[in-house]
Amino acid sequence: MGGHTLMAYSNAQADKIYWHYTPNIKYSLGIDYQEDKITEQSFASARFTYLLHRKNTATSQRNLYLKSGVGLNDSDNHFYGLAGDWETRRLFVGFSAQQQSGQGYDLFEQTFKLGVAPYLGDYGDLHTWLMIETKKNDFDDRRTTYPVLRLFKGGALVEIGYHKKTDWDVHLMYRF
Amino acid sequence: MKTTLILGATLIFLASTSQAQHHHNMHDMHSHEGHMHEQMVDGKALEVDVERFDNFVSDIPGDKIAVVSVQGMVCDFCARGIEKSFGKNNQISKIDVDLASGKVLLGFQSDAEIDQAYIEKQILNNGLNTTAIQVLGD
Ligand SMILES: [Cu+2]
Repeated sequence: MGGHTLMAYSNAQADKIYWHYTPNIKYSLGIDYQEDKITEQSFASARFTYLLHRKNTATSQRNLYLKSGVGLNDSDNHFYGLAGDWETRRLFVGFSAQQQSGQGYDLFEQTFKLGVAPYLGDYGDLHTWLMIETKKNDFDDRRTTYPVLRLFKGGALVEIGYHKKTDWDVHLMYRF
Repeated sequence: MKTTLILGATLIFLASTSQAQHHHNMHDMHSHEGHMHEQMVDGKALEVDVERFDNFVSDIPGDKIAVVSVQGMVCDFCARGIEKSFGKNNQISKIDVDLASGKVLLGFQSDAEIDQAYIEKQILNNGLNTTAIQVLGD
């Protein structure tokens, strides 16, 4: 089928705009542009995501993805990682483990996310998810845990997390 | 950049809200013609939401209906993908994705040949699995 996804992220580490194309469900190719807040550099990367595993049941879907990216001008900027999720219409569990490198730094980050949909909407309705996410990296070796609100309608998904130390964590996604 | 993001989010939301409105209009129509849903020719019961099924067939009288049971259909992205795939087929008159029951209803023009392998392939292209296809009105 093939589809486009446009994403934007903003958190304590980076601001990022990311577009990818998915020719089939197995993989997607894309490009992102980011402002790395650790090195204060701005650069573009090529991105590749591969679906390692998917398991469907009548009420659930489980996925495991390989993710990678490399700076177009400087391969010192790169990352690779694993991300997985299991979801039903009611529950969401997700994790990621990612090794990231920039100019003069390496960062290993793990995240874990748990979500629940307080009501089940029909296709086309506004879907709301109440989530909690916890992140830990070996940069400052501190775990941050914060609430995330996910709103999902049509092709658009918005996630907003807030933590008093790291401030806002915003993620937008639009599929077309 | 954060302000831009939050602004962008709001805009995307407003845009998609007006777009998705037609789904509801479809469910508002009420008709109880075409009570094909009780029992299949092969004796198997058809597991669909009866009211939803009646609504579906009400404005496509005489069309063949394929009821597809799908695994892994957990969110609107799945549903949108399915709509997009089957939407390309001009023999298909109507599509309804019911996430709650895991069913996709497809209306085919009365002279169409329903190819089960074709249906399964579209579902698989969306990363989902077909467990059953029941055809009515053939
Ligand atoms: Cu989905």
